[in-house]
Amino acid sequence: MRFRVYRFDPDRGSRPEMRDYEVELRPGDRKVLDALERIKEQDDSLSYRRSCREGVCGSDAMNINGRNALACITPLQGLRQPVVLAPLPGFPVIRDLVVDMTQFFAHYRSIRPYLVNEEPPPARERLQSPRERERLDGLWECILCGACSGFCPSYWWNPDRFIGPAGLLQAERFIVDSRDRATAERLAFLDDVYKLYRCRTIMNCTEVCPKGLSPARAIEHIRFALLRPPGSRRPKAGETIPR
Amino acid sequence: MQGSRRPVFLSFARLRFPVGAVASIGHRISGVVLACALPFAAVALGRSFSEEGDYASVVDGLQSPAGRVALIVVAWAAGHHLLAGIRHLLMDIGVGASLPAARASAFAVIALAVLAAALPLAA
Amino acid sequence: MKFALSGRRAFIVQRLSALVLLAFLAGTALRLALGPLPTRDQWQAWSAQPHAAALLILVVLSLIAHAWVGIRDVVLDYLRPARWRPAVLAVVAVGLAWLLARATYLLVLHAL
Repeated sequence: MRFRVYRFDPDRGSRPEMRDYEVELRPGDRKVLDALERIKEQDDSLSYRRSCREGVCGSDAMNINGRNALACITPLQGLRQPVVLAPLPGFPVIRDLVVDMTQFFAHYRSIRPYLVNEEPPPARERLQSPRERERLDGLWECILCGACSGFCPSYWWNPDRFIGPAGLLQAERFIVDSRDRATAERLAFLDDVYKLYRCRTIMNCTEVCPKGLSPARAIEHIRFALLRPPGSRRPKAGETIPR
Repeated sequence: MQGSRRPVFLSFARLRFPVGAVASIGHRISGVVLACALPFAAVALGRSFSEEGDYASVVDGLQSPAGRVALIVVAWAAGHHLLAGIRHLLMDIGVGASLPAARASAFAVIALAVLAAALPLAA
Repeated sequence: MKFALSGRRAFIVQRLSALVLLAFLAGTALRLALGPLPTRDQWQAWSAQPHAAALLILVVLSLIAHAWVGIRDVVLDYLRPARWRPAVLAVVAVGLAWLLARATYLLVLHAL
């Protein structure tokens, strides 16, 4: 099977280039990650991230034939050859298919990805009804692979100021969590022409999410929540709305 | 510190954009086209309130070769921007927000806008 | 209203002005489809009426506001270096404000 892989060596300092490889697949090789291992047997200098090899760690998100995907769960069958492998678009390339995720995770941290609740902790858990727990579905499953933000034109143009689909989806995950008490602050933080409102609902994010999530829908929900004046937002049980 | 000259992969030729992205960039381009047409629209408004001679000059201008091209481009821009805008307003209230529906509506917007561009030719 | 639009307010202005423009376009399309094309005299007579002029001014205002939010988005997305953005936006704002003033002046003058 033929592959065309983005190569960049920072030690050489030269420009990135596409290099062609032809590999013999073994009987068990089914996914792009398997092929990457074959390529690495041929050319040891190739660098890429990988870990769980089953689509849950998010390490091997990359651009495969023009679309972002996880290499370990993308089947080789049906891929047009030569299969073009490139790093996540828009992210600074450290080496070959390895990108710098620093900015991506900085945005994630900025939305305070943890429960904020100053109430005295109960004897055991903070309780949540099944209905309240359902509201987290479609949000908690994010593995922070970066495929969405790496396919979002708005994130390409302003990666330092726009939080991006992944960060915004996680922001929504905590906004809807019934155990969290910082909704008003979270929404106020996002109400910014750059942080949230660069989103144009292009929906590239939803198209490429390997877990089938919809950051676009999460962002729509945040926009809707922001439309209602702060005083009228329905408080969650036990929450006080600051005036 | 090493790494200050890290490249970024953004080769549009190698990226495969979904149909929604095409509709979206069309929405933006058509918006810019229409914004550029605003000064001309203001002039046309003024001429529409004045005597016959000015009005005829507007009509003549539109029938020149450059005028016809401009009219087709503006017709496409108006059609695409309007339809893409309606698509967004509907998605705001949840209509057609699912991925299959969004893809279908994006395709429809692109196709109908091209038809709209052909309207000045028919008229 | 034009300057310092927070993210939320710009979004609302964009959507609201779009709705106003949509309504006006729908009405115009209906009128053009249902009757003969108005002559220049008919157009001038109709637009001279106070309520028609007021409607047209509202439409122009919506158009300018909508264009402002759109152009601002384009500038905020693409213009580099970022520190030039406020200056460029100021120039655009002045241009749009001038268009608004000119159109309003024409409409008011015509109605009087």
